[in-house]
Amino acid sequence: MFKSNNVTARLFERQICTPAPGTSIHRARRFYENIVPSYTIYDVECPDHSFRKFTEDGLYLVSFNRNHQDLVVYRPTWLTFSCNEEDCDTHDLPLKARKFESFFTQLYSVTLASSGELICKDFFLYMESNQFGLFATSTAQIHDAPPTGGAIQGVPSVEKITFHLLRLEDGAILDERVFHNDYVNLAHSIGAFLYDDLLAIVSLRYQRIHILQIRDSGDLVDVRSIGEFCREDDELFLDSNSQVLVNHVGNGFHHSLPESETSFLSGLKQRLLSFIFRGIWNEETDQTMRVQCLKKKFYFHFQDYIDLIIWKVQFLDRHHLLIKFGSVDGGVSRNADSHPSFFAVYNMETTEIVAFYQNSADELYFLFELFSDHFHVSSKSSLHMNFMSSHSNNIHALEQLRCTKNKATSFSQFVKKMMASLPFSCQSQSPSPYFDQSLFRFDEKLISAIDRHRQSTDHPIKFISRRQPNILKFKMKPGPEAGSTDGRTKKICSFLFHPILPLALSVQQTLFLQASVVNIHFRR
Amino acid sequence: MYGGGGRTWPSTTSVSSSGKRIQKEMTELSIEAPSDCAAGPKGDNLYHWVATLLGPPGTPYKGGIFFLDITFPSDYPFKPPKVVFKTRIYHCNVDPAGNVSLDILTENWSPALTISKVLFALRSMFTNPETHKPAVPGIAHLYLGDKAKHDEIATEWTLRFAR
Repeated sequence: MFKSNNVTARLFERQICTPAPGTSIHRARRFYENIVPSYTIYDVECPDHSFRKFTEDGLYLVSFNRNHQDLVVYRPTWLTFSCNEEDCDTHDLPLKARKFESFFTQLYSVTLASSGELICKDFFLYMESNQFGLFATSTAQIHDAPPTGGAIQGVPSVEKITFHLLRLEDGAILDERVFHNDYVNLAHSIGAFLYDDLLAIVSLRYQRIHILQIRDSGDLVDVRSIGEFCREDDELFLDSNSQVLVNHVGNGFHHSLPESETSFLSGLKQRLLSFIFRGIWNEETDQTMRVQCLKKKFYFHFQDYIDLIIWKVQFLDRHHLLIKFGSVDGGVSRNADSHPSFFAVYNMETTEIVAFYQNSADELYFLFELFSDHFHVSSKSSLHMNFMSSHSNNIHALEQLRCTKNKATSFSQFVKKMMASLPFSCQSQSPSPYFDQSLFRFDEKLISAIDRHRQSTDHPIKFISRRQPNILKFKMKPGPEAGSTDGRTKKICSFLFHPILPLALSVQQTLFLQASVVNIHFRR
Repeated sequence: MYGGGGRTWPSTTSVSSSGKRIQKEMTELSIEAPSDCAAGPKGDNLYHWVATLLGPPGTPYKGGIFFLDITFPSDYPFKPPKVVFKTRIYHCNVDPAGNVSLDILTENWSPALTISKVLFALRSMFTNPETHKPAVPGIAHLYLGDKAKHDEIATEWTLRFAR
């Protein structure tokens, strides 16, 4: 694409050559090889907040205050200073560079949590088209909650979970949605998925997938709830029909079918079971063989299928959901990889199950290997989200996947491990070009586009040029400049990359609640 | 099996004889089962079965897949099995909780009947409801008075809850 690595030469080249059709953005992104966040300001004087992330358009930096009550939003700016001497590159940066406020301007601070609730600092979803942010607050978990009112056994309960929709421009609270005595997995936004204007929230406790629409006006509107019923008016239909049924009871309690009602299969389970049944039924044409086959493959496992619960959900497009099912134990525990699980593709418009796989299914893995971008859906509006590296769009990522695949001792174990990442968590990857694997190579154990806390070492993290192997493009070192005095303390680090600018924050924390060390990495 | 005390002796034999009978019916089932039903024990419990009925064409239940729980009493075949719909259905012989009340599952039960016969009876229920002794009189009245309306509602139920 470019003949030279020199930035000036590249600029000239860009002026005189037209890139191959459809590659202009790829070519523009190669300038990131020249412009890197190689300069670090260690231990910046900054407010004691927990920094969540930059929004995908780079307009906001979202943070929460330490007592988990307030949302504080900043606008990323750029350090500006003047120098009246000849050679200003050799000068030290002015003192104000050490201040957080020189890079970020506080826009506002709003209190989200009230009466016993705390902000869930892992939860934040951004609707780029409207610059709306979705936040969650909740009260404490009750672990041994009795399963009341149709709740399932073994899932903890939270007295109150509130989702807040905010206009990030000015912090105005537009709408909120409260869940009482329910459980939604808020950590890393696992229990919610935003696609365009559609929001899916999974109630683990009541086994419902709530589909909401975020209107341009800022209203959260219920579209449907999938679980007990499939269509939005099923419950209404049943109520209006059961008038006839309860008439003859005539004892004054009109809506008195509470216990009996739970014995029916839920709408979604009925669809799932009939899909599995039909698959086995159609496999065999001989009736004797069919009954044998169903006995072994279907009826024997019937109770296990009944006991499956919805763990996690993602949108594949506006109509299709990828739903992961598993046992109750696996849904709540953090380490769910060891539990068997199942994936279903569900069309919520036609209310049909389209496909069903076990987590060890080769077929699903091969689909994932070839078409992983179809799983990594993001809302249509966000352009740069289309350039995130995956093994389906990036040869280097594919090589890495093949390498892990070949190294794996057992293929089925490998498949299960890969499938554990499905369904993907919403907005869990940074669109920063520094994670573009066709531009840079880095150790994925230490840093990656996936938004997770990682164990931190005292060694700087190297970003090496992909096209010129062995050329170090820049280094990032979290924590204090001199390294930590005590090498034994475990340190956890998180990185927040600006999606466009050569700007990143690293936040290093030790386990003993000491103040965190925030470094700013930018291009000087 | 013979090690049990004197008091448990009779019940043990009755359970195992009913078990043998169910086992026998299971092997026969794969040969003589009606063409659009299937059934089998849930897990390794011989006394808890699941049956599946496919809604026959030409009825408002067409296209539906109905799952039923069949529970055998320990003194089977002297007492009838209990049949409960796990799939919602609009039918005059199925009460709002899903319990099936057919003649042969109540007063007309005979130890000579088998699970295949029960499946046959359940299947014919789709085409010929027992309207003389319904579990839900309202539905039976509608069936006798305005069959078109009844079929319309039953079709809607099948579409919504039995696919």
